[in-house]
Amino acid sequence: MAVIETKDLWKTYGRIEALKGVSLRVEKGQIYGLLGQNGAGKTTLIKILLGIVQLTHGEASLFSAPAGDVGVRRRVGYLPEDHAFPNYHTGYSLMDFYGSLYGVSAAERAKRIPDTLEQVGIAGRMHYKIKTYSKGMKQRLGIAQALMHEPDLIILDEPTDGVDPMGRKEIRELMAVLKEKGHTIFLNSHLLGEVELICDRVAILQQGKLVREGTIAELTKTKGTFILGLISGQVFPVDAVTKLGFAVRPVPDSAGHFEIVLNDGQTIEPVMKLLTTSGLTVTHIVEKKQSLEDVFMTTVEGAEPGVDRKRRRARPVGGGE
Amino acid sequence: MPNPAWTASGGAPAQSEGGNKAVQQFFAILKDSYREAVDGFVIYVMLGLSAVLIAIAASMSFTPVPPEDAFSAIVPQFNLIVPDKGRSSAISLEDRNTFKASDVETAGGGYKLRLTVTATTERSREFDPVEAAGGKSDRPKGDSFRSAVARWSAVTGETVRVDEKGKVNKNKGAKGIDVAVPTQFTVAEQRAVTDGQMEEFLKSQFVMHADMSATVTRSKSGEEPVYAFDVTTTGGSAVKGWPHATKLFFGAATLADNAPLGGTLWLIEDVVISRFGGTFTLLIGMIITSFFIPNMLRKGSVDLLISKPVSRSKLLVFKYIGGLTFMFLVTAFTVGGIWFVLAVRSGFWDPSFLVAIPVLTFTFAILYALSTLTATFTRSAIAAMLISIGFAFFLFVFGQIKAASDSDKVEHPNSEPSFLQTYVVDLGHDALPRTRELDQLVRRAISSGTLTPSARKLLIRTEDTPSLAGTFGMSLFHIAWMLGVSCWWFSRRDY
Ligand SMILES: Nc1ncnc2c1ncn2[C@@H]1O[C@H](COP(=O)(O)OP(=O)(O)OP(=O)(O)O)[C@@H](O)[C@H]1O
Ligand SMILES: [Mg+2]
Repeated sequence: MAVIETKDLWKTYGRIEALKGVSLRVEKGQIYGLLGQNGAGKTTLIKILLGIVQLTHGEASLFSAPAGDVGVRRRVGYLPEDHAFPNYHTGYSLMDFYGSLYGVSAAERAKRIPDTLEQVGIAGRMHYKIKTYSKGMKQRLGIAQALMHEPDLIILDEPTDGVDPMGRKEIRELMAVLKEKGHTIFLNSHLLGEVELICDRVAILQQGKLVREGTIAELTKTKGTFILGLISGQVFPVDAVTKLGFAVRPVPDSAGHFEIVLNDGQTIEPVMKLLTTSGLTVTHIVEKKQSLEDVFMTTVEGAEPGVDRKRRRARPVGGGE
Repeated sequence: MPNPAWTASGGAPAQSEGGNKAVQQFFAILKDSYREAVDGFVIYVMLGLSAVLIAIAASMSFTPVPPEDAFSAIVPQFNLIVPDKGRSSAISLEDRNTFKASDVETAGGGYKLRLTVTATTERSREFDPVEAAGGKSDRPKGDSFRSAVARWSAVTGETVRVDEKGKVNKNKGAKGIDVAVPTQFTVAEQRAVTDGQMEEFLKSQFVMHADMSATVTRSKSGEEPVYAFDVTTTGGSAVKGWPHATKLFFGAATLADNAPLGGTLWLIEDVVISRFGGTFTLLIGMIITSFFIPNMLRKGSVDLLISKPVSRSKLLVFKYIGGLTFMFLVTAFTVGGIWFVLAVRSGFWDPSFLVAIPVLTFTFAILYALSTLTATFTRSAIAAMLISIGFAFFLFVFGQIKAASDSDKVEHPNSEPSFLQTYVVDLGHDALPRTRELDQLVRRAISSGTLTPSARKLLIRTEDTPSLAGTFGMSLFHIAWMLGVSCWWFSRRDY
């Protein structure tokens, strides 16, 4: 059974098409990242799943129940982006309020609230009014309120927004622990480095359409690019290698390193042989890995290049009004 | 670890404790509303003002005048005869009897006294030669006391309406008080008045003018037209009609030296608290609560709430009830507090003033439903506040217009009511929430709780009592549709 499933999901806000036929599936126990530019429709997708906005067309379900079902929300924890907690609450009383809404019993709340706040590192300030919290503290509180009722699915919209590097690391570790325990996590983030570190699968949304989807390994797999470097003083035989059928180009700003791109079915073996027989000494050989950021950039650039550029000049924040 | 019930395939968690959860959610939202209310300063200003009012009430002192003086003030009023229940509502004034209280002494929980009635002999219509010659006739005579009792016992005859200026108005529907035209009784009829009837009459007068229960026995001393009665009253001095010296600020200011306790309490409760205090409380209540729903619907807050496992309609209705509870508590604190200190200070424990608590809350419920409706559509506290306060004001003005139109109709019973009266005022009154009737409900309760029947007769214009079902039914209908539309809109909107 899929934890989250959408099929040909459409959402239009008046004339704005926020989602245009998104189909994705998240399995139990995964950490799933949803990427995309501003205005790509990430938040919209999450809001549909939680019943905060209604879908225009298509299907969306959580635990096989239609999105927006009241009962199923008990199994979901949610951290919205741009949240504004009622600031007459203290961290503790807010957790207590939300916990009651989730149906957590009083005894359980008394135990879990301090524990959860401890986990996100703000237990020391839990009896202070939220209006005295810093941005990052509020964000941590937001994560805590999404976790306290031990939901099967945790949906986080930009969880590390405003959190310091230490905090981000703690949150990453927390997510790893949660995953260990069998929780499913669905998150939006612009911090690709982090997503790469923790997510099992990612999807990239581009103007309301799903353009890439897969495991991190699948997405970042390179076509086969190696960086080679020779002992200083030796000259790289560019022409000879090109003749073998490899694309070669120097790596800018490096100590004379060259990049060799393999074609399908090729290995680096012939190049190595050539270099050894030519009496050259290889000091540096690295298989180049694409970062998620590279993937994201190329995907986004490649998506609808012309249209996207023009649009972005006219409407800097992705098609919003 | 995930709860096994959740991980079981098939979606929704076990609903065995569904009802319990709803109750828990309800109280969570109430508690949240409470936190929100006590977070602002307005509530403290309001509670502070209530506390000041309670303190002022507590600073009042009600000192009963000594029994001798009290009865001397009460019994002369017996010339005014106010009919009992079931008889005509006409009053009658007898002015030829002198009522005197003497030998007042405490007895048990009440008082013992001698009541002397000095009546005026009524000259018989038949010619009496002995009397004409200046002698003392043996013929039975009538007197003003006997005829008063006879009139009191009999069904009232003709009445006239006396308007506020004391003029007789022939028109039956005019504003004013019905006064009985004295029926003449023959000597024989007057002689037929028994001691028992006289005793009953006086007993009734103690109830009417002082709200005192008494046993009255005619004593054989005194010769007609002087009558003597032995009276024993029960209950102490804390009764509606007992004159009291009323002081404010622990005796620093004198409000009245010698005014009936009930009348003073009526003035305080009806005029000062129910009218001004009630309006003020409603106003502040609306201001404070008008923020509840717009705050809940604020961007960034609303997603957090509606992503919880509570349906949106429930959220909204619970929040609405939260506002009502808040208002109920504030009203209960203020009205209850004032009632309690007044009762302690005066010794007069009549609960009718407490009716103001539920009725004010109900009035608020109507206005708050409109505030909720406005808030769900506009998400603006200012709009909610202005529209609900504006509507309250409109209802008040409309109520005044309706009252004016009604009395106009009564005064001109022969002229056709105008189109405006029939189709705007009357239809409007039938269709709109009945805030004026709710107000009258409180006022009636207060006056019947504090005023003696005779004072009520003189001070309060009797009006047709509107049916409770109509008053509450129509108002409930408005609350229901306004909440219904709010829930419908809130449930289908994207946030
Ligand atoms: N309530 C709304 N009314 C109208 N348009 C909306 C609304 N919410 C979102 N949109 C539009 O839908 C599109 C998708 O918005 P969404 O918030 O889903 O983007 P996002 O991917 O979360 O962006 P970001 O990275 O900036 O958070 C945007 O064009 C946005 O302007
Ligand atoms: Mg977003």
